[in-house]
Amino acid sequence: MPPSNARLYPPLWRRLYSVWFRHMRVYTRHLISNGFPPFLEPLIFLGGIGLGLGDYIGKMDNMPYLEYLATGLLCTAAMWTAAFECSYGTFIRLEFEKVYDGMLAAPITAENLIVGEILWAGTKGVFFSFAVLCVLSLFGILRLPNALIAPFVGFLTGTMFGALSLLITSYVKTINHFNFYMTGLLSPMFFFSGVVFPISKLPPAVYPFAQLLPLTHSVRLLRAVYLVEFDLLLFWNAAYIVIFITLIGFFAVKRLKKRLIN
Amino acid sequence: MAESVIKVEKISKSFGPVRAVQELSFSVLPAACFGFLGPNGAGKTTMMKMIYGKNTCDRGCRGVMDIFGFDPRSDELAIKNLSGVVPQEDNLDEELNVIQNLMIFARFYNLPGPVARRRITELLEFLELSEKTRSKIRELSGGMKRRLVIARALLNEPRLLILDEPTTGLDPQVRHLIWDKLRHLKRQGTTILLTTHYMEEAFQICDELIIMDKGQAILQGNPRQLLRDNIEPYVLEIMDGQSIDGLVSGDLLDSVRADISHEVSRLYSSQIDDLRRVAAALHSDNYVIRQSNLEDVFLKATGRSLNAAQ
Repeated sequence: MPPSNARLYPPLWRRLYSVWFRHMRVYTRHLISNGFPPFLEPLIFLGGIGLGLGDYIGKMDNMPYLEYLATGLLCTAAMWTAAFECSYGTFIRLEFEKVYDGMLAAPITAENLIVGEILWAGTKGVFFSFAVLCVLSLFGILRLPNALIAPFVGFLTGTMFGALSLLITSYVKTINHFNFYMTGLLSPMFFFSGVVFPISKLPPAVYPFAQLLPLTHSVRLLRAVYLVEFDLLLFWNAAYIVIFITLIGFFAVKRLKKRLIN
Repeated sequence: MAESVIKVEKISKSFGPVRAVQELSFSVLPAACFGFLGPNGAGKTTMMKMIYGKNTCDRGCRGVMDIFGFDPRSDELAIKNLSGVVPQEDNLDEELNVIQNLMIFARFYNLPGPVARRRITELLEFLELSEKTRSKIRELSGGMKRRLVIARALLNEPRLLILDEPTTGLDPQVRHLIWDKLRHLKRQGTTILLTTHYMEEAFQICDELIIMDKGQAILQGNPRQLLRDNIEPYVLEIMDGQSIDGLVSGDLLDSVRADISHEVSRLYSSQIDDLRRVAAALHSDNYVIRQSNLEDVFLKATGRSLNAAQ
């Protein structure tokens, strides 16, 4: 006779929430060292670009260059934080701290754990774009209320890069392999996704590749809402993001599960 | 006789060419402590992990696994909800302190805040960790970490407690403390599965045990019964590699069994007087006559040579 209350394990949303909550709890434990840099980074950007480079470049795609770059930065902030969290962070929890082994002894499945991780990456995306939004609108570089779309796109960007990074992590044997991911994929993405200059300026042979990069789509979506300039291509951008999260997320779960459950 | 709460029949698990568990079968009665004894690489941990779904049994494995009425292959969450797990490695969350570790876990079990806090206070007291409530994990000794992992496993008042080498590497005081706590839990009705390579531990707290080697069960039964059935009750241990040539002769050949290794020779017999006669003929007093124990059974059953995993 099975015990009657054994099936009263927490429901799915509860399980995902508790995984998310664990990460939240650990992150907010060091509020100063974790919460301050996201605000500092846009300030550094402001100093570096605003004081120097800004004078030389007037307009980019009919936007003041500082504002153009700022809208891109709302997305890259989310990209970097999600990518670090789900590559180095996940790998350390997986291989060094063995945190997941502990969590998997509780009523949580490997799938719950991985999806919770992706949602947490999305949340960090929200927080980091929000920090950039606060600083840059305070200095009048970003216009409100248009820029308020940032945390939403930040969530999508964080989720995309959370899923992608977990998929990469599932292949990684030693932590040094992430160097290839950071330098080989994320750094080029920063420059060739329309953050610093429009991808339409790329040579025609390279242009299609830029269309394949996930960051291209979040930047485009964000600028369109920010400038209130809508076109049909936005459907493609939105569809790309949804499909990317679903597909990459699916394979990330499938592959990473094999490392958790043998 | 009570019905078993765990039934495992013909379960196998391979990792590539390595057959970690081969057609293992056993059953466990409610509120019993069931032990897996064996050298490293015997398949003890793999079997335990299959019970709560951390390892899966071989694809196409037709064996039976019934854990309190649930099959880990389809009801992993129900089994985890009624069990507590103490893994071989202390996988505490080093980024959180003692109470935060427990509070996070309480959330995994969906315990309401006040219930969780009450339960945590009780458990810290039970495992004598109350003073460490706000300590960082890094500040804890090995024994404290182990007790904290046990406290964590007990949060949801498990019916089944799974312990993988709970006292390996701990000092005798802590080991005895943990044994006392396990006996206490057993009295309260908790069923316990435990792996160990301490014979003493198995003898002290297990009602039944399996001696495993290379993924297979070699012996199975109550510890005292195993001792009675599988080994002579007395041993003469002769140290320093003294030669025993010619000592066992005549009528002693029938009653004394010799197990000779390089440094220590062991003579087993059911007649203590026979062993005394042999000892009297030795040239040195560097010997000891003692009662045989599970370790002797274990070594006899598994052989003395080391396997690759050790």
